[in-house]
Amino acid sequence: MNKFWKTGEPYVLLTGTALAVMLVLTLTLVGVVMTNGLGYFWPRALLKFDLKDGTSALGQVMVKEKNPISGVSRLQLKVANRDVFGQDFRWIDEKDIASRSLPTDAMLIERREHGNYFGFLKGVTAEGLAQSASPQETLQQAMKLVAGKMEDTRAIKKQMSNLNHTVERLRLKLLKLEYGGKEKNSAEISELTAVREKTMAEFTRLNEQATAAQAEIGRITGQFTDVTGGSKDIALMEIVALQRPNSMSFLAKCGAYLERVRELLLDDPRESNTEGGLFPAIFGTVMMVLLMSIFSLPFGVVAAIYLREYAKDGLMTRMVRIAVNNLAGVPSIVYGVFGLGFFVYGIGGSMDSLFFPERLPTPTFGTGGILWSSLTLALLTVPVVIVATEESLASIPKGIREGSLALGATRFQTLTRILLPMATPGIMTGLILSMARAAGEVAPLMIVGVVKLAPTLPFDTNFPFFHMDRKFMHLGFHIYDVGFQSPNVEAAKPMVYVTTMLLLAIVVAASSAAIYLRNRMRRKYTSSTF
Amino acid sequence: MTHTVIDKSRRNDRLAEVLIRIGGILVIVSVVWILVMISRVALPLFYPPSATVVATVKLPTSISAGKALAVGAEENQRGAFILDETGTFHFLKVADGTLSASIKAPVTPEGATRVVSAEYVGKSAYNLLWDNGAISSVAVALSSTKDADGKASLSHDVTPQESLSFAASSGIVQSFARPVEGKGTVRIDRLAGDRLRITYQLVEKDLLGNEKRNNAICEINDALPGKLTAIAVDAKGHYLYAGTDTGMLLRWDVSEPGQPHLLESMPASDDRQAITSLALLLGDVSVAVGDAGGKLTTWFPVKVAGSGEDRRLTRIHTLRPNSGGVASIIPSPRDKTLFSGDGREIHVDHTTSERNLLTIKSANPIIQAALSPKGNTFSALDANGALTVWKMDIPHPEISFGTLFGKVWYEGYDKPEYAWQSSAANDDFEPKLSLVPLVFGTIKATLFAMLFAVPLALLAALYTSQFMSPKLKGVVKPVIEIMAAIPSVVIGFLAGLWLAPLIDKSVLTIFLSLVIVPLLMVFTLFFWKRIKTASPLQRATRGHEFIAMVPVVLLGIYLAFLLGGLAEFQLFAGDFKQWLFSTLGVRYDQRNSIIIAIALGFAVIPIIFTIAEDAISNVPRNLTAASLALGASRWQTAWRVVLPSALPGVFTAIMIGFGRAIGETMIVLMATGNTPILSWSLFNGLRSLSANIAVEIPEAPFNSSLYRVLFLSAVLLFIFTFIINTVAEAMRQKFRKKYGRY
Repeated sequence: MNKFWKTGEPYVLLTGTALAVMLVLTLTLVGVVMTNGLGYFWPRALLKFDLKDGTSALGQVMVKEKNPISGVSRLQLKVANRDVFGQDFRWIDEKDIASRSLPTDAMLIERREHGNYFGFLKGVTAEGLAQSASPQETLQQAMKLVAGKMEDTRAIKKQMSNLNHTVERLRLKLLKLEYGGKEKNSAEISELTAVREKTMAEFTRLNEQATAAQAEIGRITGQFTDVTGGSKDIALMEIVALQRPNSMSFLAKCGAYLERVRELLLDDPRESNTEGGLFPAIFGTVMMVLLMSIFSLPFGVVAAIYLREYAKDGLMTRMVRIAVNNLAGVPSIVYGVFGLGFFVYGIGGSMDSLFFPERLPTPTFGTGGILWSSLTLALLTVPVVIVATEESLASIPKGIREGSLALGATRFQTLTRILLPMATPGIMTGLILSMARAAGEVAPLMIVGVVKLAPTLPFDTNFPFFHMDRKFMHLGFHIYDVGFQSPNVEAAKPMVYVTTMLLLAIVVAASSAAIYLRNRMRRKYTSSTF
Repeated sequence: MTHTVIDKSRRNDRLAEVLIRIGGILVIVSVVWILVMISRVALPLFYPPSATVVATVKLPTSISAGKALAVGAEENQRGAFILDETGTFHFLKVADGTLSASIKAPVTPEGATRVVSAEYVGKSAYNLLWDNGAISSVAVALSSTKDADGKASLSHDVTPQESLSFAASSGIVQSFARPVEGKGTVRIDRLAGDRLRITYQLVEKDLLGNEKRNNAICEINDALPGKLTAIAVDAKGHYLYAGTDTGMLLRWDVSEPGQPHLLESMPASDDRQAITSLALLLGDVSVAVGDAGGKLTTWFPVKVAGSGEDRRLTRIHTLRPNSGGVASIIPSPRDKTLFSGDGREIHVDHTTSERNLLTIKSANPIIQAALSPKGNTFSALDANGALTVWKMDIPHPEISFGTLFGKVWYEGYDKPEYAWQSSAANDDFEPKLSLVPLVFGTIKATLFAMLFAVPLALLAALYTSQFMSPKLKGVVKPVIEIMAAIPSVVIGFLAGLWLAPLIDKSVLTIFLSLVIVPLLMVFTLFFWKRIKTASPLQRATRGHEFIAMVPVVLLGIYLAFLLGGLAEFQLFAGDFKQWLFSTLGVRYDQRNSIIIAIALGFAVIPIIFTIAEDAISNVPRNLTAASLALGASRWQTAWRVVLPSALPGVFTAIMIGFGRAIGETMIVLMATGNTPILSWSLFNGLRSLSANIAVEIPEAPFNSSLYRVLFLSAVLLFIFTFIINTVAEAMRQKFRKKYGRY
C-alpha cells in the first residue's frame, strides 16, 4: 500500500480525472446542443390530455420532470395557439390527468404569425372550389390553389422591389445633382423627377394590384377548432405548413423533417427571428468570412514569410513576434472598439464626406457594415494565419531551401516555386482556422455592423451587386439576439439551439478539417526524432 | 540564360524582399495603430477646459451699465442682450457692439414704473420685480444665423409669460415667483425687516371647467438665527433656502399653501462666516452655498443615522475657495458645473467631480453675468460698461481621475460610492461613470474562472503529455483543439439558458460535486490498487486510466445531484436560496459567479491545456529517460523532473489563459446579469469591462463622455492584456532558447 502511494499512482489517477472532467464537459456541451437542436424538427405527437377537472389540453410534451422533494412529476406541454391562450407553454401535474389519447385528426398548423396552432379541421371556405368528400382533401386542394395564386403575387412583389430600387437610385442621383449646385428647375433634374414620379406611379399601381390580389387570397380560409372548443378562421395564405403528426408514418415524418431542414437553410426568418429559416444569417456569415479571408490571408502569409525566411534573429523579429502574440491576445471587443473608432467613424466618415456628401447626414459608409466587419475580423484573425504559415514553413527541411539556392534560384524564386507550394496545406490550415474563428466571433461584430434583421442581403442582382456598406446578419449574433433579447425566450429556445447546432457544426467541421490537414502535413515532413 | 532574365529575377527578388519586410513590420504597426487610435478617442477626456474671449465691447452710450439688471448671450457668441430698469431688452451684436434692437417687455403691470430686479429662472425666462412690488415674467429669444457671405444676422423676440404674474405689493426687498404644478403659482417675498412672506395664488378647476382663484398668504414666524443674507427657492416652489450673517443655513418646506415649516437650521461652516449667496444646481436637489470667506460648498439631503426616514441637508462637496467672498453663484443649465466669484475672479468648478475647471479673470469688477441656455457661452458686464463674451469649451467636466477610479458622492446617494450607471429616463440625470465596479467585475470573473480552469487544465496537460498512450493522444489532443474552437457565444448561450436554470434548481449539486467526486475517486483508488496487481490488466490500463474515470465523474455528479435535493430538503427546509437570504443575507442571482466560473473556465481550459501540454512535451526526452532509468516512478519523473523544467512554459500557459479570460466578452455578457456591483459573493452576478463595452457602446452618442470612457476602458483592457502577453511571450522565448527547439 505504502509503495502504491509513494510511486504516486494516485496522483496519476488524479491527473486522469482532470482530463476526464474536461472531456465530460466538452461532450456535455456538444450533447446538449445536439439533443436539443436535432429533435426540434421531428414532428412530435400531439397528445390530448383529459384532466380531472373536466378540461382538456392538446399539445406536445416538451419536458417531464419530477420534483425531488414532493415526488410529484409534471409535464411541460407546448399547447401553442398563442393568440388564443396567451402562452405557448403550460405545466400539467401528472396526478391531474384522467386520460390521454392520440387523436388522429389533430393538426399542427405552422402560421406566419402568432406561432403554431394545434387544433382540428372543421371546414374550408373557398370561392369556386368544389367541396370534396372529406374536408382534409378540400383543404389540400385549397392549399394548392392558394400556392398558385401566391406565386402570381410574388411575381408582382418582385417587380415592385425592382421599381423600389430604381426609385431609390433616382433619389440618390437627384440628391447628387442638387448637391452639385444644379438649379431645381434645370432640365436634367426635372427630367429625372418626371421619371421618378412615373416609376412611383407604377409602383403604386402594382401595390394596389398586389393588395387586391392578397385580399382575394385572404378570403380563402380554413375553419379550425381548438381542444377547448373555440373556433378559429385562419387564412390559408397565413399557413406555412400543415401536419397531422399523429397519423404520419415514419417515412412521412422523415420527409417533414427534411422539409424543415430545407426551410431552415434556405428561408427567411419569421416572427422576429424566432421561427422560419436562417438563410440571411448563413449568407451573411459566409460572405463576411470570405471577405475577411481576402484581407487576412495575404497579410498573414507575408508576415509569416518575413518572420521565417527573411528576418534575421534579433530585436526586430522579437518585436514582431511580440506584436503577433498581442494581436492574438488582445480581447476581441477591443478590436470592435477600434473598428468603430477607426474604420466606421474614421475612414467611413471621411469616405462619406468625400464621395457621398449629398447623402449626409444619412451615413453610407460612416456606419457599421459588412466591409468594416470583415476588416476588423481580418485584423483579429491574422495571427492565426501567421502562426500556421510559420509552422508549416518551419517544418520544411532546410535541405530543400539550400538545394534550391545552390542551383542558383533567388530567394524569391525559392519561396514562390518551392516553399510556398510545399507550405500550402499549412497555409490552408491557418486559413480554415481563421475562418472558423471569424465565424464564431460575435463581440466585435455587434459594434461594427451586425444587425438582428437586415432588410436586404449584402449581395443581390442590383448594380454594383456587392453592397459593402450594408449591414448583415450573423449566426453567432443570431444566437445572442434571439436567446437573450427576444421577448419570449421560452418559445425562442428551440430556434437558438438549432442555430447553435448549425454554428457549432460549421466551426467544428472547419476546425477538424484544419487539424486533419495540419497533422497530415506534420507527418509528411517531421523526420523522427529520438 | 540571358542577362535580362537574371536581372529581372534579381530585381524581383529585391522588390519582394522589400515588400515582405514591409509586411512583417506592418504587424507591429497595426498593434501600435490600434493602441494609438483607441487612445486618441479616449484622451480628450483629460484635455484641460478652456474659455476664450470672443469679444469685449463697450456698451452704447444710451445704455448705462449701472442700471443693467441682466445680461445674456446666445450660443454662437454673435448676439448679446442687456436688460435695463425700464424693462427694455437691448440686443447687441457682439462683434462690434452695435445696437441691433431694443424691445420693451410687452407687459407692464399697473402702476409700475421701473424694474427693480430680474431673476433668471431658466429656459431664457426672467421674472421681473417692479418698483410697486408687482411681478411679471418674460421669455427672451435670441438666435443668430450666418448667411453665405459670413455675415451674422440676429433674430430676437421678447414674449410675455402670462401664466406667472402677481399684483402690486409693498415693502418688498427681494422676490421669487414660481409656478406650482397643479396648484397655481406662488411668490415668496423677503420684506423689509427680515420677514418672509409666502403668497399662493391657487387655481382650482371644478368639473365644469370654471376656474376658482383664491390666495393663501402667510408669513414665516420661525425665529431667525441672524440677519438674512441670501435666499433661494427651487424651481417647483417646494423648498425655501436661506442663509444668515451668522453662517446659518435654513431650509423650509413651503409646498403646502399656508403651512410652511422649518425643516432644519444648521451652521454651514465651522467658522460661521456670513453666507453671501445660495443657488440651486441643475436637478433642484443640491444647493450651493457661498460665504463671505470665499468658501463654496454644496449640500443635499441625505439619510443620516438615527434620523429614520428623514433626510437632512448635509455638506457634500467642498470646492476650491475663492480669494474674496462669494458674491454670486451661477449654476450651469446643462450639468453640475458652478460659476462663482466675487466679481474680479470667477471660478468654474464641477461639483460632483470637485474638479477645478477654470478661472476667469476680469480687470474691472463684474456686475452682471450669465450663462447661455446650453451653457457654452458666458457673458459678463463690468462696472466700466464693457460687455465681454466668452466661449466656454468644457467637453467633459464630470470626468476626472477621481470620478473614474475613486469614490464619488452622487446626488441622491447616502454616501460616497463607486457607481456605474450611464443612463436613466430623466433629463437632469447625472451619468455615474466609475470604472471600479467594472474592473472589479473583470477581476472577479477572471479569478473564479482561473480557479476552475487552471487545476483542471494543468493536471490534464500533465496526464496527456506524460502518462497517456501515444495512440490515444492523437485522438484526445484534436478533441481539445476542437474544444478551443467552440465559439464563445455558444458557451455563453448554454451557460445562460441551460446551465444557469439547471444550477438554479439545485445549487447544492455544485458544492456536493466538489466533495463527492474526489471521494469517489479515492474509492476508485482502492479498487484500482486491487486490480493493479493483475498484471495483464495493468498493462491494458496503462495510459488509458482517464477513460475509467469518465463514468466515475459522471456518477459523482449524479450522486451529488441526488444528495443535493435531499440535503436541501433536510437541512434548508427545501429552499436553499431562501435560507441563504434569510440566514446569511446573501441574495441569489440565477446568473451568478458560479456559472461564470464554469463557463469562462471552460473557454480558457483548452488554451491553457494546449500551451502547457506543448511546454511539458518539449522537455527533452533524455531527461525523462534518465530519470526512469534511475528507478523513479512515472509520477516521480513527471512531478520532480519534467514539471520543474517546463515551469516557465506552464506559467506562460496560465498567463495567456488569464489574458484571454480578462477580455472574454460574450460569455460574461450572456452568463451574468451584468449588474455593476462590488461583491465577492459567489451567488451574485457581475459586470466586466468588456461586457460593459458591448452593452453600452451601441447606445453611446458619438464623442460623448460615455463614448470616450468606453474607449478608455478598451485602452485599459489593451494595456492589461498587452503586459500579460508580452511577459508571457518573453518567458516563452526564453524557454525555447533553453531547450533549443523551434
